[in-house]
Amino acid sequence: MAALVETQDLKKYFKSGAGLVHAVDNISLKIEEGETVGLVGESGCGKSTLGRTLIHLNESTDGKIIFNGKDVTKLNKKQMKDFRKDVQMIFQDPYSSLNPRETVSDIIMEPLKLDGSFSREEIKNRTRELMDIVGIEKRLRMSYPHELDGGRRQRVGIARALALKPKFIVCDEPVSALDVSIQAQILNLLMDLQKDMGLTYLFITHDMSVVKHISNQICVMYLGQMVEMCDKKELFAYPLHPYTKALLSAIPTTDIHNRKERIILKGEIKSPINPGPGCRFASRCPYADESCNQGVQACEVRPGHYVVCNKAKEINQL
Amino acid sequence: MDDLKKRHGRHHGYHEKGRKGKRRHHIDPSIKPGSAKYIWASVSHNKGAVFGMVFLALIIVLSLLSPYICKYNYSATDFASMKAWPSAQHWFGTDDLGRDILSRVLYGARYTLIIGLLSTVFSAIVGVIMGAIAGYFGGIVDSCLMRFLDLFQAFPSLVLAMAFCAVFGTGVDKCILALGITGIPGFARLMRANILRIRNMEYIEAATTINCPTWKIIAQHIIPNAVSPIIVEIAMSVSRNGLAASSLSFLGLGVQEPKPEWGQMLAATRNYIRDFPYMVIIPGIFIVLTVLSFNLIGDAFRDALDPNFKD
Amino acid sequence: MAESKEKFFELRNLTVKYHSGSSIIHAVNDVSLDLNAGETLGLVGETGAGKTTIAKSILRILSENSVESIDGEILFEGRRILDMEDKEMQAIRGKSISMIFQDPMTALNPVKTVLSQIAEGYKLHHNCTKAEANKRAIEMLEMVGIGEDRAEEYPHQFSGGMKQRVVIALALACSPRLLLADEPTTALDVTIQAQVLDLIRDLRNKLGTAMILITHDLGVVAEVCDKVAVIYAGRIIEKGTLEDIYDHPTHPYTCGLFAALPDMDKDVDRLSPIEGLPPDPSVIRDHCDFLERCPYACEKCKKFDNKMIEMTEGHFVRCWKANEEV
Repeated sequence: MAALVETQDLKKYFKSGAGLVHAVDNISLKIEEGETVGLVGESGCGKSTLGRTLIHLNESTDGKIIFNGKDVTKLNKKQMKDFRKDVQMIFQDPYSSLNPRETVSDIIMEPLKLDGSFSREEIKNRTRELMDIVGIEKRLRMSYPHELDGGRRQRVGIARALALKPKFIVCDEPVSALDVSIQAQILNLLMDLQKDMGLTYLFITHDMSVVKHISNQICVMYLGQMVEMCDKKELFAYPLHPYTKALLSAIPTTDIHNRKERIILKGEIKSPINPGPGCRFASRCPYADESCNQGVQACEVRPGHYVVCNKAKEINQL
Repeated sequence: MDDLKKRHGRHHGYHEKGRKGKRRHHIDPSIKPGSAKYIWASVSHNKGAVFGMVFLALIIVLSLLSPYICKYNYSATDFASMKAWPSAQHWFGTDDLGRDILSRVLYGARYTLIIGLLSTVFSAIVGVIMGAIAGYFGGIVDSCLMRFLDLFQAFPSLVLAMAFCAVFGTGVDKCILALGITGIPGFARLMRANILRIRNMEYIEAATTINCPTWKIIAQHIIPNAVSPIIVEIAMSVSRNGLAASSLSFLGLGVQEPKPEWGQMLAATRNYIRDFPYMVIIPGIFIVLTVLSFNLIGDAFRDALDPNFKD
Repeated sequence: MAESKEKFFELRNLTVKYHSGSSIIHAVNDVSLDLNAGETLGLVGETGAGKTTIAKSILRILSENSVESIDGEILFEGRRILDMEDKEMQAIRGKSISMIFQDPMTALNPVKTVLSQIAEGYKLHHNCTKAEANKRAIEMLEMVGIGEDRAEEYPHQFSGGMKQRVVIALALACSPRLLLADEPTTALDVTIQAQVLDLIRDLRNKLGTAMILITHDLGVVAEVCDKVAVIYAGRIIEKGTLEDIYDHPTHPYTCGLFAALPDMDKDVDRLSPIEGLPPDPSVIRDHCDFLERCPYACEKCKKFDNKMIEMTEGHFVRCWKANEEV
């Protein structure tokens, strides 16, 4: 099956006072239709930037983004408008992603109104239907965002994203601002929606247990670079990159009897400003040597399992 | 309000201090914060603002009616009763030319208020547009606009207003223009800061993802969220500009004789402050009360508009 | 029995109310806890459950403008904290009891070097010379893994994890006997969190500091705590040892919290969220707080008197069905 979304050597650099911030560097990934790719990494690793660049909220610096067979970076105005209908985003912060001066129904209606191809009656019905789908009570129609709790706000954001029946949704940490009990409600909702509507997700998060629950494929990022990408089960069973290993071992578990051996990382995190060639994890990597600062190549170590580490084979005795 | 009395669950030293805290006015909880109704309820619960509004309303009505209700014309000189102390005939006394100070003060209110209001409207409109453009588009547009406005801010505002008056000449309209131009940078900066804050909100990004055109993003998502501080600033600016109008007139640059602008009245009678202090004190009191009224109203709006929705 | 033996630290029926607009917020209701010297207690709960309010009332740093009343007793080494004069309290705050805040960025003064910030606090409480205080500060920084060479740097020159380590050094400089850690690792990345938790555990073992760790993360509690208290809507609904809570969670809310977590070891198709929302904090209920969300609720729960039931020694549950095995 052809990939719905594909990037080839995607780059996004920002100018800053001190130099170029390499927020996203040479990322190539494929997202199959109907699947969820989990994008994990720590704060500031560029995962949000990658998500925003994919749906063209940011101009990319270099590289290709192919959506449904078309290069997104080369779309004209009309095509861009159609592209926008197909891709949507669910934001992290349910406080700032909703206009505080609009009511719930205003917010959900807006994409339908802007589209211009619906009658007033249709808009009304569709809004009601959307509220129903995401589980917002009808009585909250005229409420303002500040009157809702975080979970309901996030549901409003999801309803807005679903309004025009998109194919692909970038979920940018949609549950990290929520409490555990509410988080589970939203995760279940997102998974149900995917099943019912055949949605494709890029699910951005820093929480390994969430990404494990929701994804098919997982892509691990570190300071703008991809470090490892493979099937979910494969990643949790055979993490091959030293960073992924440390990341997985660091997750606190609720199992108090079987304590895992932690890999505690030492060393300073490299700056993403003009980072130079080579592996950016080298400064914290227990296996790094001089050669790691020269350059680094992605390789398929096991079938469908890509690792960006020169020493992957050596470390893992493959 | 009964529940106020029910609240006493304190007996430790530390807790007593908790009682001093400022409590928000009791507004019907069914009114939504942020709605016009809420703002009105909040402002009308504020004693200072009520005083300010009553005082200003009174002044405006009396000023408009003054030609009909006052016994004396504001510019009629009466050499028979020059420098008369306040009395039954002349409630506020007369000035050095025998003009009735009550008539002059009431009639003169219109100058202070008109100059204050119109100059503010001028600077608010121009400033808000410039600030919005600078904030939204950023980059070189922002730099050019803001550096240009920095030129204005390099001088104390009154000095700048004096310079403009010197160029334009004297008179009510010139005074409005001078103060209006002087006030632009303040509004522009405020608006720009606001826009920059709102522009980074995720709901602006969300609007982009649903194909919202730029003008609509500005009109529907940015402006409504940016106006609250502007409204407060407008109230403050009216008071500031009213005061500045009096200052300019006092210096001989604003409204000219025989128009009874308050500052100009102060200037004309300042030589008599020792022997006939009422000539100076009475217009002075009106200036102070008017400025105070606008400030109180501005403060009340600030409290009412502050969207402390989260807690 | 507990009365006769003096506890190291004890909360007795702590109740804190705030006022907000025209309503009263019942932030903390009748919370009783105790802690032995050197022990670590995990205080677990969701946003708005009243965790931070408890910590702030212990240090008496709640904003006086919003507090309606504080009732109950806070006993630290037998002394009543709520009755102390401000002067006495100042001597305790930062010296005997100190606090680590969630956000390391705002807990440090940006215009002072980290060395001088730590030295200043120490000097204030110990009446020593500047040189002595600086020596102590450097010791503390070294203990948290920051070398002397970086001591003269400013907070903005440190990364998030390093800043949190500075905050920990700051909190521990006066060798407090009780440390209140309010979500100390929530703002940090997982790999950094592992470092910081490791450090906290090490220091506690070395210095014998008692600690109250406030968090919403059951995983973090499992890493460092001896005892656990679960708080819901301002009330403790279950408390006991780590084993009591993690091996035998009993209150339906505690069970629900565990069930709602995506499991790292097992694959489940659907998560089991706790339906509904936490109750309105401005209302005091005469029935169980968890009633509306509880899958086991029945008529009898509407008349529940909110008493704690002791399951096994030291394991308390605020649910009358606890003994009937749900």
